[in-house]
Amino acid sequence: MPGRPPRALEAIVGFLTPPACREVVLGDLHERYRSPMQYISDAWYAVPCVVYSRIRRTADPGVLLMDALLLYVAFMAAARQFDRELLYSRLGLMRLAIPAGIAVVMLALADAYARPGRPTALRPLMQATLGVGLTGVAQTAFSAAGFSFALPLWIVLAGGSFGVVGVSIIGMLFPPDDHRPRGAG
Amino acid sequence: MTKADSIGQFEQLVLTAILTLYEEAYGVTIHAKVQDLAGAKAVSLGAVYVTLDRLEDKGLISSWLTDPTPERGGRAKRCYRLEAVGERALEESAATAKRVWDSIVRVWGKEWARRWRKEWGKGTA
Repeated sequence: MPGRPPRALEAIVGFLTPPACREVVLGDLHERYRSPMQYISDAWYAVPCVVYSRIRRTADPGVLLMDALLLYVAFMAAARQFDRELLYSRLGLMRLAIPAGIAVVMLALADAYARPGRPTALRPLMQATLGVGLTGVAQTAFSAAGFSFALPLWIVLAGGSFGVVGVSIIGMLFPPDDHRPRGAG
Repeated sequence: MTKADSIGQFEQLVLTAILTLYEEAYGVTIHAKVQDLAGAKAVSLGAVYVTLDRLEDKGLISSWLTDPTPERGGRAKRCYRLEAVGERALEESAATAKRVWDSIVRVWGKEWARRWRKEWGKGTA
């Protein structure tokens, strides 16, 4: 009798699995459990696929494109206000695209990891704050590590603030599509 | 009748697994059956999850949650069944496979087909 998976392992895998499929995935992994190594191997291959599938189901490419454009314009406007030289520098426009790109990835992940069910009115604001906030953290880390493509702090703060407002409004107008056919519910 | 989407080889395997498992088609059993059908190729549980979601989005299968069971640590299963469009898609892919088979046998001959059955056809009708 192989027993049951260690609680710590289950907790880690549960944390990494999107809530919408957590119960089913943890149940399947529990049923297949033979040893801790086999459990880790199963989870290693299953969890990224589950996250990918969840993103494919919840992300709307049109909305993500709108988010990306809005964030890019927000960072450009902030750069125009605080450091106009950056706009005309070599690779300046590409540097402004990096935080927008990171924020869009974060927003897609936030949708995938959102709890299923009817979204609250505050959810778009919270997701936008989380997504753009983590982008700010990433930019600060790049800056601390001395990467040349990191943006100045004021541009990140101002662009990020405009971005949170805009992305929240887009999120309220176009909530994620979590109601795909589930047939025999 | 609704026209079924064309399906890929891995989707055929998953649909066949669901068809043969009847009411017991859920992640673990579908993965085991697909692994059995795929032969030597290793199949990951994650690939099965992605395909099940995609087939459900296409409307070829539907799913429901069962009651929690102790062997799963008190968690529910998501069971799957074929919808009419899924059955139609599987029929079409089986018909295509049959046409491919007939064409090969016409060129390579019945002797090759007998040898093929001996080597690869174990467990098939």
